[in-house]
Amino acid sequence: MTADTTTAVEALEERPARHGLPRYAATKAGGALLSIAMVIVATFFLFRLLPGDPVRALAQGRNMTPEQLDLERARLGLDKPIPEQFLHFLQQTLSFDLGTSYEYKRPVVDLIGERIGSTLLLTGTALVMAVSLGLWQGARAGWKPGSRFDKVSTAVSLVLWSVPTFWLGLLLLMVFAAGIGPIPGIFPTRGSSSVDKPDGFAGVLDVAQHMVLPCLTLVAVVYAQYLLVMRSSVIDEVGQDYITTARAKGLRDDDVRRRHAVPNALLPTVTLVFMRIGFVVGGAVTVEAIFSWPGLGQLFYEAIRVPDFTLMQGTFLLITVSVIVMNTLADVVYHVLDPRVRSA
Amino acid sequence: MLVWFLPNINTRLGKVGRPMRKLLAVLAALCVLAAVPGTASAAEPAAKKVIKIGVTQSVDSMNPFLAVRLVTGSIQRMIYGFLTVPDSKTLQPSPDLAESWTTSPDGLTWTFKIREAKWSDGQPITAADAAWTFNKMMTDDGAKTGNGPAVENFQSVTANGQELTIKLKAPQASMLDNPVPIMPKHVWEKVTDISKYDGEVYPTVGSGPYVAVEHKKDQFVRLEANPDYWRGRPKIDELQIIFYDNPAASIVGLKKGDIDLIGRLNPPDFESLKGDDNIVQWNTQGRRATYLQINHGATTSDDKPIGDGHPALKDPKVRTALHYAIDKQKLVDEVQGGLAKPADGSIIPPLYKDFFWEASGAEKVSFDLAKANKILDDAGYKKGADGVRTMPDGSRKLQFRFSIHTDTPIEDKLAEYLTGWFKEVGIQLTTKRLDSSKFTEETGTTALFDIAISGWSVNPDPEEVLGTHLCSRRPTASGQGGGTESFYCDPTYESLYLQQQKELDRGKRAEIIKKMEERLYSDAPVIALYYPNDLEGYRKDRIASITPIPEDKGLLYGGSGYWPFYTLEAVSKDGETAESGGLGGGVIAGIAAAVVVVLIGGFFVLRRRQGAADERE
Repeated sequence: MTADTTTAVEALEERPARHGLPRYAATKAGGALLSIAMVIVATFFLFRLLPGDPVRALAQGRNMTPEQLDLERARLGLDKPIPEQFLHFLQQTLSFDLGTSYEYKRPVVDLIGERIGSTLLLTGTALVMAVSLGLWQGARAGWKPGSRFDKVSTAVSLVLWSVPTFWLGLLLLMVFAAGIGPIPGIFPTRGSSSVDKPDGFAGVLDVAQHMVLPCLTLVAVVYAQYLLVMRSSVIDEVGQDYITTARAKGLRDDDVRRRHAVPNALLPTVTLVFMRIGFVVGGAVTVEAIFSWPGLGQLFYEAIRVPDFTLMQGTFLLITVSVIVMNTLADVVYHVLDPRVRSA
Repeated sequence: MLVWFLPNINTRLGKVGRPMRKLLAVLAALCVLAAVPGTASAAEPAAKKVIKIGVTQSVDSMNPFLAVRLVTGSIQRMIYGFLTVPDSKTLQPSPDLAESWTTSPDGLTWTFKIREAKWSDGQPITAADAAWTFNKMMTDDGAKTGNGPAVENFQSVTANGQELTIKLKAPQASMLDNPVPIMPKHVWEKVTDISKYDGEVYPTVGSGPYVAVEHKKDQFVRLEANPDYWRGRPKIDELQIIFYDNPAASIVGLKKGDIDLIGRLNPPDFESLKGDDNIVQWNTQGRRATYLQINHGATTSDDKPIGDGHPALKDPKVRTALHYAIDKQKLVDEVQGGLAKPADGSIIPPLYKDFFWEASGAEKVSFDLAKANKILDDAGYKKGADGVRTMPDGSRKLQFRFSIHTDTPIEDKLAEYLTGWFKEVGIQLTTKRLDSSKFTEETGTTALFDIAISGWSVNPDPEEVLGTHLCSRRPTASGQGGGTESFYCDPTYESLYLQQQKELDRGKRAEIIKKMEERLYSDAPVIALYYPNDLEGYRKDRIASITPIPEDKGLLYGGSGYWPFYTLEAVSKDGETAESGGLGGGVIAGIAAAVVVVLIGGFFVLRRRQGAADERE
């Protein structure tokens, strides 16, 4: 099989009309722009299909006269016909203005700006940890399929993968934040920092302490996917001739795995990781809700409840655009990493 | 992490194992550091009396002209003065920033004498501040979002020194329950566009017992005692309002001591506080009524039918039969865990003694399935072979939908009981679960329901809740919601509403309002089920004393006014030995951290050996 691949690669390399990277990237970028344009249009109409009258929802539990409600409707621009609203939305979006939130009465861009930091911190850290853990365990597990390490790590990761995030989060909260029996509640129950957050290094520690449980929850429920992909792609590599060659050279088993098998097995995970990076921006609605983490997921969730159209559009656009951009990047990176893709 | 080695993939990939291991080690170290408490919370300033209130809603806007959420309203009460405040004992309007007031004989001109006090920045408070606040709301549509309806009936507002004169378009008995915080003119008149202003300037300039000093969005608001408060400085130094997204986490927070008080609990969360010696379970009468809303033939504000309500429900006899088929005591016991009071009245709970009305004598509807069956038999709704009744003309079976919210176990349970009882009287009930925005739409605007769960938190002045059953609140012809809670439109009710609005004598007004409740009770566009108790919890190792409002069996959080949080007294630090987690917790955490380090270290050593062993094979 290795031989086949090599010849195929050589054949490709020899092809005179090979696509250049810039051109390939440009094509992909064009496609991405088109997708983004479609998303912008879809965003507007998709959310208007949601049931509920934002004005009525905002007035819930308060006695507002019909005149009052009309005034609110006019303020939000909801009294205008849909096509006019759409044009207004297009105009705004193209000038990078995401509008003003119905509920918070502040520019959506500001609201996103306030929360994107804490979201990136949480989901970014969790992604790095999940990827590291998943790839590392996956590589080891795949190296000796059927070994005890393989059985245990795969089983554990799959169990965690199937556990509902909400349940796991609450469980961790009950055990490690509240404390049960001999286990002390050493972690905070909410938020990304204490009210009396100290400055400097102590402040960093404070945030880190707040991050442990949400981060752990996020990692636990997702790392299985990296583990499984890595495991199966390492298994593919194990029988390859070049591995035998490496062994024949007298390399230590560890070195064969780390220097020869793993780099080749990493390719499929690149796509996976890039896709996840795209979603990092969206935050993690469930985990943010359990631990009251002030991030974008929480903002989006609140927006849907109202429904706060502008806020939903803004956060949704941000999430989809970052996913599209990351996918495009993954395509381009793949192009660089794997010669086989260049023919596609 | 994956990006940096990309440009130089061939040389770098070989080393990937090493950085990854380093990274893991660093992350593990961070975890360990983070796990050690004390390091993070060591910088606690000494002897400051701080009380932390947990809430499950975050602040929407610190600009009172825009804010609508309940939590924000509570905070406004703590940092701004109002014209009046409900008296802590009787809940009747009592002086706040307005020291005294007079009314012209026609009830159209109100003159308030504004208290000579100081804003928290030292400037004097005058009637001009109040006049500016009201005029801003009357003239600037952008300032109406928060409390617009409160100035709807204002003709003009003028100031002369400490004297504030408000001229009304029509008499209004609820004038003294004005919900508008008085803002400092000298600060707020500089704001150019009020509808876009977030009010995030700290410390805030206010006239309430506290001054807001910090707001971290979606996390907390920090309030400090206002030393110049006209009633005198609060007993504690700092009040923190801490937001939880997740009610379960807030309960954990209270048990652990991350917060000292939390209100608005549901029965299961309240029950879970049982058995904790440091926590006081606060269980008193609440300000809410829970009722069924019956689609009795919904119409729009121009009297055109709307929605798809079952025709049988237009018949008051059917509605009365339903009323007889509900065992309210059983609902209280089984659905609310006994933490409510069965409703023999209407939409105003017994907390408001002055306005509460209760049915008695022949008028009182008590659980009686035989009577319910008889009413329906007499009215010609015959039972079919399947036990389900049909309309007198045989056109439709009495099959009703019961609309409730998704993910509300209490409403699910309620639906089970109702379905059981209604079956006994030949009525089939099917439950329809809707998410909250869909629910609001179908039960408040489009009328696509038969029976729906409903409820309202009532203010010390009941005008607001009474207003939700007015003809004018029905949706417009174009199908836009108008704030109705029942689609009710009844001439008797309507004229009583106008009467009470004009009646400035509190006793006489209460009599009229009771007649309105009686009308709702007998006509049954809504059927009151029970009045849920106010359920809260607080830590007695932190809170030495707190006065509820009303003082006799009242509310702590979510009540009216600022009394509970003004009278709040913290346990002095000397008596406080059990700081949460404490030294013991710290030591255990340290040991735990050490164990983690050893485990990780051991794991790597083992892994090395394993590698060496592999090599030997």
